[in-house]
Amino acid sequence: MNTPPDVEYRIAHLKERLAAEETGDLGIRIENRGSSVTVIGTVPTAHSRAALMDTVNEELAGLTVHSDVVVAECAAPDHPEEVE
Amino acid sequence: MIRVAAVGDIHMGPDSQGALRPAFETLGDCADLLLLAGDLTRHGTPEEARVVAREVAGLPVPVVAVLGNHDHHDERPDEVTAVLREAGVRVLEGEGTVVEAAGRRIGVAGTKGFGGGFAGRSGGEFGEPLMKEFIRYTRRCADGLRTSLEELAGQGCEERIALTHFAPVPDTLAGEPLEIYPFLGSYLLAEAIDAAGADLAVHGHAHAGTEHGMTSGGVPVRNVAQPVIRKAFNVYHLHGDRSGSETAAAGSR
Repeated sequence: MNTPPDVEYRIAHLKERLAAEETGDLGIRIENRGSSVTVIGTVPTAHSRAALMDTVNEELAGLTVHSDVVVAECAAPDHPEEVE
Repeated sequence: MIRVAAVGDIHMGPDSQGALRPAFETLGDCADLLLLAGDLTRHGTPEEARVVAREVAGLPVPVVAVLGNHDHHDERPDEVTAVLREAGVRVLEGEGTVVEAAGRRIGVAGTKGFGGGFAGRSGGEFGEPLMKEFIRYTRRCADGLRTSLEELAGQGCEERIALTHFAPVPDTLAGEPLEIYPFLGSYLLAEAIDAAGADLAVHGHAHAGTEHGMTSGGVPVRNVAQPVIRKAFNVYHLHGDRSGSETAAAGSR
């Protein structure tokens, strides 16, 4: 089980590192789900996703981490919205 | 009818140069202007700003931007602004600009905005100096937005758009944890928009939020954070003289 009392502090410290370091990821959510930690969010590039997950795995070593991190989509829209 | 393209939170760095350019080059076919709703960089360094500047330089439509909190992180927002302006981007903070397209005058009023929360769940100017300054800063942003929108009305703009980074309403935050709403926006921004009137309010910042919302005065709000819209930008067609009727409604209240 990943529920020792220090897990929430490790997640908080990880959030601070992510904001300050190369990736600058404030929009990433890190959820403690008891038996695992899930990382959720969108990053600008594959490079930034790799950097993010390196930091996550370093800070949360020993915990089961699931990644739901996706790279932002950069296609042009195929239709406009008519704003009423 | 005017065509407004918008995106926020593109968080560019050296590794993302060129990612958005192919889509941006289609703007001449589908939009009259491009709005950038802040968080254009990751840490607000001039180097990152130059990536953004190259990405939008020479586009076939005018580009209007506000900065976001990430663009302030390196504490050089003036340098970031200068880099973007050199590339032709109209960077707004408590001011407005007029874009002429299809024979119409489109006014855009912009401010980064700030947090504080939403009606009934908001901070106030009370207690410690830091707490007072937190709310006063948001209020200054909102006052700048209101004044700019009012000035644009006086300049004969048929359509007026409020551009912010922080959210004016909680509608478009749905999906974000409730606990962080006060850090995502402020009702003061919506109050300013409703008081001055606008046809559309565009913001970013809330990556896990949703796209569609509305102020209590009836102004459509769109969260264009790139993780929300999942595209290089979205395009909104504005048809009516909403801001004229809103101004009249605000005046009658």
